[in-house]
Amino acid sequence: MIELGWYPVFLKEMLHFRRKLLKLGYLFSAMVVPIIYLIAFGFGLGGSVRIDGTSYLAFLIPGLVAMSSMNNSYTWVSSTLNLSRLYFKTFQVYVQAPIAPSSIMIGEVLAGMIKGLFASALIVIVGILSAPDFRITFLFCVALLLNCFLFANMGVIVGMLTKSHEDTATYSNFFIMPMAFFAGTFFPVDKMPTLFKGVVYVLPLTHTNILIRKAGMDAEAWVSLGILAVYAALCFVCGSKLIRGYSE
Amino acid sequence: MIELEGLTRVYQGGRGAVRAVDGLSLTVGNSEVFGLLGPNGAGKTTAIKMMTTLSRPDAGRCLVGGFDVVREPGKIRERIGVVPQENNLERELTARENLTIYAMLHRVRDAERRIEENLRRVDLWDRRDSVVTGFSGGMQRRLLLARALLAEPSVLFLDEPSIGLDPQIRRQLWDSIRKTRIDGRTVVITTHYIEEAEALCDRVGILCRGKLVALDSPENLKRSVGECVVEFIDAEGKLVQHIHRGRGEANADAAGEHNSSVTVRKTNLEDVFIKLTGERIE
Repeated sequence: MIELGWYPVFLKEMLHFRRKLLKLGYLFSAMVVPIIYLIAFGFGLGGSVRIDGTSYLAFLIPGLVAMSSMNNSYTWVSSTLNLSRLYFKTFQVYVQAPIAPSSIMIGEVLAGMIKGLFASALIVIVGILSAPDFRITFLFCVALLLNCFLFANMGVIVGMLTKSHEDTATYSNFFIMPMAFFAGTFFPVDKMPTLFKGVVYVLPLTHTNILIRKAGMDAEAWVSLGILAVYAALCFVCGSKLIRGYSE
Repeated sequence: MIELEGLTRVYQGGRGAVRAVDGLSLTVGNSEVFGLLGPNGAGKTTAIKMMTTLSRPDAGRCLVGGFDVVREPGKIRERIGVVPQENNLERELTARENLTIYAMLHRVRDAERRIEENLRRVDLWDRRDSVVTGFSGGMQRRLLLARALLAEPSVLFLDEPSIGLDPQIRRQLWDSIRKTRIDGRTVVITTHYIEEAEALCDRVGILCRGKLVALDSPENLKRSVGECVVEFIDAEGKLVQHIHRGRGEANADAAGEHNSSVTVRKTNLEDVFIKLTGERIE
């Protein structure tokens, strides 16, 4: 029998998401940060800078999509899980239900992915309207899906590990935010100093940014795809283990 | 239905290890309404958390419906319903959405009909499409009860079911709980309300600092310490209580007290608790 225990977990998050979407403020807040970056960097530098033969705007938009999908997938899952576990105690309803821990994991991750994809779609729309040479390729879609999946998984890990809601901000400040700026969102990683580059290549978002801008598969794309897949698999296993081992 | 043997849970706190539940052993029979009575911090909620697979015991054994909480938690989860002490409803969803999610998690057959049945049972059918944030405390407790009964569990756990409710609403909730007995399911209640334990439970286990200090029916527990209590204020303004075996002895004692505020009343479970532990419950 196919295990469908993930569906109610996912459905609950979607019901919450639908209610949030009906509030205009939410839609606006999901868009505001990437739009600010787009205006500040894209339209500010866009006219005078060209990277790899394309306009800066066409370079920047895939980076903003990667950053936004990371932020939204990660933040949604880590905050939801943390709050439901520590404050609202709704996570306990899952733990006391006859479903597999991996079902909870899948439901939460899929919900985080939807949130990440939704935020990304808003940037893509702006991209299509503002940058004529911006293209959505097959690899763009693969990189985006994998990125949402990976960071939703990381969200589960942080949501399960943190001991207070304030702790989630600590993880964001030391891990997510630096990655957003240094992992190739705003400028190519190969322009960085060699020593720094070594560190940056360990970060998963760097490989999303590499993959999301590729027109087709080459050796570098395969390496980035492999690294992202390994990170995603590791995070899924870790998150599932944390849920399985949950005890108050 | 439930067997606990030396069940122990230790928490590491700032002041060292605390034995929240300390070697708890008892059995609860089929169709029994069993109460765990004790003050805040006695270990009642921790005991329920272990029985409902939310906390792993540090020592001892716990079987629910013949299944071990550590080795077979999934089997237990198929058979239990839980009303937790803290309201863990999805506050931004409607009553019906809350029950729909729960029905899916527990693979409830004919879910629509069961949801309607249970919402009607707790008089919330008319509010089925209202968001939970708009519900009063009593309505939320009733919705928690409806949710816990949705999958027709053979064991129902109620952790402080009427905490924070005013007396009238509390009695309405008791009526709803009494109705669940008709279906013949086992009910485990934790409470620090004496009246609640006396009104609902066939047997009561009295917990103090994680240990079981007494276990019997409310009537037997009260009889074991004496049937009547004489209360009066002494010369220093302190409340003095004398427990007596019978009404005659109590009346004689009261007559001997030259105190205008002397009263004679029946023993309750709080008197039992004070007699056994020297502390008060509420």
